[in-house]
Amino acid sequence: MITIWMHRRRILSLTLFLVLALIISLTTPSLIAGNKETIHIRGSGSTFLQLQLMAWITIFHKVRPSITIEYNGVGSGAGQQQFFEHLTDFCGSDPPLSHKTWLEHKGRILQLPIVLGAVAVVYNIPELKSHRLRLDGKVLSMIYLGEIIYWDNYYIKRLNPGISNLLPHAKIIVVHRSDSSGTTEIFTYYLHRSSDGLWPKRLVGKDIEWPVDRTGRGLGGKGNAGVVSIVKNTPYSIGYVELSYALRYGLDVALLRNRAGYYIEPNTTTIIAAGENAARTGLLPISPTGDFSKELEAIVYSPGRLSYPITCFTHIIIWAKYPPHKAEAIRDFLSWIISSGDKHILPGYAPLPGPVKGIIIRAIELMKSGG
Amino acid sequence: MSRHRYFKDKLFKIMVFVFAMAGVAPLFAIISAIAVNGGKTILSVGPGFFYGLPSSPLSSSPGGIGPALVGSLILMFLSTIIGYPLAFMTAVLAVEFPESVFGRFIDVLVKSLLEIPTILIGVLVYSLLVVPTGSFSAWAGAIALAIVILPYIYTHVENSLRSIPADIRLASYSLGLSRAKSIFYVFTCEAKRGLLTAMLIGLARASGETAPLLFTIGGNWFTYFQGLGKPIGAVPLLIYTYTLTPYTNYHEAAWGASLVLLMVYLSLFAVFRRFSKP
Amino acid sequence: MKEDRLFFLALLPFGAIVVAVFIVFVSTLLYNSLPIFIHEGLMVYTSSTWRPVENNPEAEVYGLLAPMIGTLEVSFLAIIISLPPGLSLAIMIEEYLPTGLKSLMETIIEVMAGLPTVLYGMWASLFFADYLKSDLMIPLHEILWFIPIFGCMPESPYTVFTAGVILGIMIMPYMVGLILDGIRQIPKKIREACYSLGMTKYETVRILLRLMRPVIIASVLLSLGRAAGETIAVSLTIGNTYNIPECLFTPGYTISSLIADQFGNSGFYVYMASALYAGGLFLLLLGVITSSTGLYLMRRWKTSV
Repeated sequence: MITIWMHRRRILSLTLFLVLALIISLTTPSLIAGNKETIHIRGSGSTFLQLQLMAWITIFHKVRPSITIEYNGVGSGAGQQQFFEHLTDFCGSDPPLSHKTWLEHKGRILQLPIVLGAVAVVYNIPELKSHRLRLDGKVLSMIYLGEIIYWDNYYIKRLNPGISNLLPHAKIIVVHRSDSSGTTEIFTYYLHRSSDGLWPKRLVGKDIEWPVDRTGRGLGGKGNAGVVSIVKNTPYSIGYVELSYALRYGLDVALLRNRAGYYIEPNTTTIIAAGENAARTGLLPISPTGDFSKELEAIVYSPGRLSYPITCFTHIIIWAKYPPHKAEAIRDFLSWIISSGDKHILPGYAPLPGPVKGIIIRAIELMKSGG
Repeated sequence: MSRHRYFKDKLFKIMVFVFAMAGVAPLFAIISAIAVNGGKTILSVGPGFFYGLPSSPLSSSPGGIGPALVGSLILMFLSTIIGYPLAFMTAVLAVEFPESVFGRFIDVLVKSLLEIPTILIGVLVYSLLVVPTGSFSAWAGAIALAIVILPYIYTHVENSLRSIPADIRLASYSLGLSRAKSIFYVFTCEAKRGLLTAMLIGLARASGETAPLLFTIGGNWFTYFQGLGKPIGAVPLLIYTYTLTPYTNYHEAAWGASLVLLMVYLSLFAVFRRFSKP
Repeated sequence: MKEDRLFFLALLPFGAIVVAVFIVFVSTLLYNSLPIFIHEGLMVYTSSTWRPVENNPEAEVYGLLAPMIGTLEVSFLAIIISLPPGLSLAIMIEEYLPTGLKSLMETIIEVMAGLPTVLYGMWASLFFADYLKSDLMIPLHEILWFIPIFGCMPESPYTVFTAGVILGIMIMPYMVGLILDGIRQIPKKIREACYSLGMTKYETVRILLRLMRPVIIASVLLSLGRAAGETIAVSLTIGNTYNIPECLFTPGYTISSLIADQFGNSGFYVYMASALYAGGLFLLLLGVITSSTGLYLMRRWKTSV
């Protein structure tokens, strides 16, 4: 019986320990947090936007400690779902709402472009050293269709007369995203628009059947990080990633031929130029209540000498009406982004051009309290 | 003994030891990699790493993991409190009443729960609990985690109950103790180590799962615990998110957070071992 | 005894909760995967086309064959990797080590069994995968290139092979536990009889192993089930590419990593989520089959010794 008793005492003290640990972990945070008047705003969606938002939120949190903004990168699709199920206050989405979804919620939601991004075409050809590869939509299409097999192909050489003798007779390893992603949609849309129909419309989307996979030279990477690691580790490969990843990992970035016929490198100037020219096309709504579903047509392969051709907007989607304190907090955050956000833009992202910023200002005016 | 047999015996011994060492080597590789990389981060940030808030990808500091750490601790305990009794009782049912059809049925059922990909468990809890209640919550996360860890706890409880020697079992019954009394007075004492290990495995699993949390807890980065009905943060979610970004300071934070997770796990292990000593 | 009867009844509610959870899950899985079965029938399990199309549900096609094969390949590989060290560890602990070292070794294995999965995944993807590629995969390919499963040059460190190895490491402690459980069930007198005949340790162990064959098979089946469901560690190491991996050094998908990869954006399509649920259903079925067979073998063996 003594052993049983001792055993019980042990169990008792263990239970006590667990309960104590639970109580401590339950109470300490509320002591730290203290202040009950904090307003919480919750969002979810695009992983691309998550990083820029982290940069903004950390600083905004210091400026306005009474407003806390939480954002989770669950993917644009899940973000839209959670937003319409009223689990979140706003949603971050790379593509704008489709025409059908927009019609469904017309008048009750506001869509605003919030930051510009770009897709970089990256490659790994050791022989090229610091020379930059030039590509256009047709050649890229042929590479991703699997029709161009070797790097010293005639078409590639023709675009790169200066370095044509450096291009190796090596098979091209073609890397693409494996998960469904806005990056793929923008990239394939660019191929379609810039290749005179060589890249068919049915191969435009967030997740497509890659023709090159059938040749055995295609490889998929999960997320931008996945594509980066494959391109980095695989000589003679080519891939496409968000510009921020290309810059961070020092990958070689190709110059792409834009609509005006110039070979353009993706950087802040050329990305903003594309945004500005997109606003001039008239395809972009000027109000956050408008339909943005034609937006890609405006910004991908947009006109203008300086425009980088694979540029895109990322959006946040909010309701037109909120309870007063939430409306106030969201207005505050948006105003802060307009006034100070540009100072905290991550490399690889670019601030909105003036005319597009007008959409956010309009949204701040439109947002009503109540309801 | 012939030389031939002697040689074979020795060779076998060497092979067994080599394979066995190869089997446990990864553990030491993992611990040292995490200790070195995570140690650097924690030393550079200082104690603020444990209670601070995340930093911007633009800054060079890894920032802190405060809200996620608190969230993870709460989720660990909460899910084990839900999952352990359930696992324990079902294991007793399966082990002590093997003659009942229900006991066998439960056994297969619980072990098959292991197969549902953890992300689907999260998604199902999302559609059955999060959407109807209209909010992400610590509860939803804890329930999803409890379902994930249930089969793990169950197998360990089951194994330790089964490993009770038959003579003890018989001795207990022959004293006239009922099955319930045998279990709670004799067997739990006898299988203490295994039962505590089962609880530990539960806590540990709960501390390291990412997928079931993705759609259930909402994920807090800047907000400390506010209540069980409110969204909450978690360390594995932070590690997963940070690992997939291109920023060095976030990678450092991920290593640091891994070290914290490892330390929590190992210290829990030590505490439990201390209590399970006969 | 009446008291036993009462105790049994008192335990039932707990069992009922588990059954209820299971039923709710299975029925939700069935309900959610219904649309894809209506859309394309059993093709979802027999074709290997993965074609999501926005705004045109009729054109959407989802086949799970490639990730199903990937799941099986990765799980079998994990078993092959974990069986030799798993068996060796069990034999070493039970037959060779003195008491002190024995409990130390058991503690190490328990630590391994409980180590948070995200730590395995992170270590594998940021650290181990590169070494595995340069020190094992490339040499294997260079020596055994004529065997089809080693026939291709590893292009990236994230492959079916990598995922199999890391999974093998993860399920090894579980397997050791099952095998140890089996060894300990063997009556002492068999061992004593062997030694008294002047047998060496090797010869004794061989006899024990032969006796335990059903246990080993059962452990393999149960571990196989566990390997198939693992998500995060696999999704960080398998390379996530939709193809049928004929060679182990190519990237692939398992059902669970496919679900983890595609769920976030499945809302843009009509049938994708449903197809993913159908994948979950397949895994569940696989689990029920492997674990019930494994448990049956285990039970039959235990009553026989």
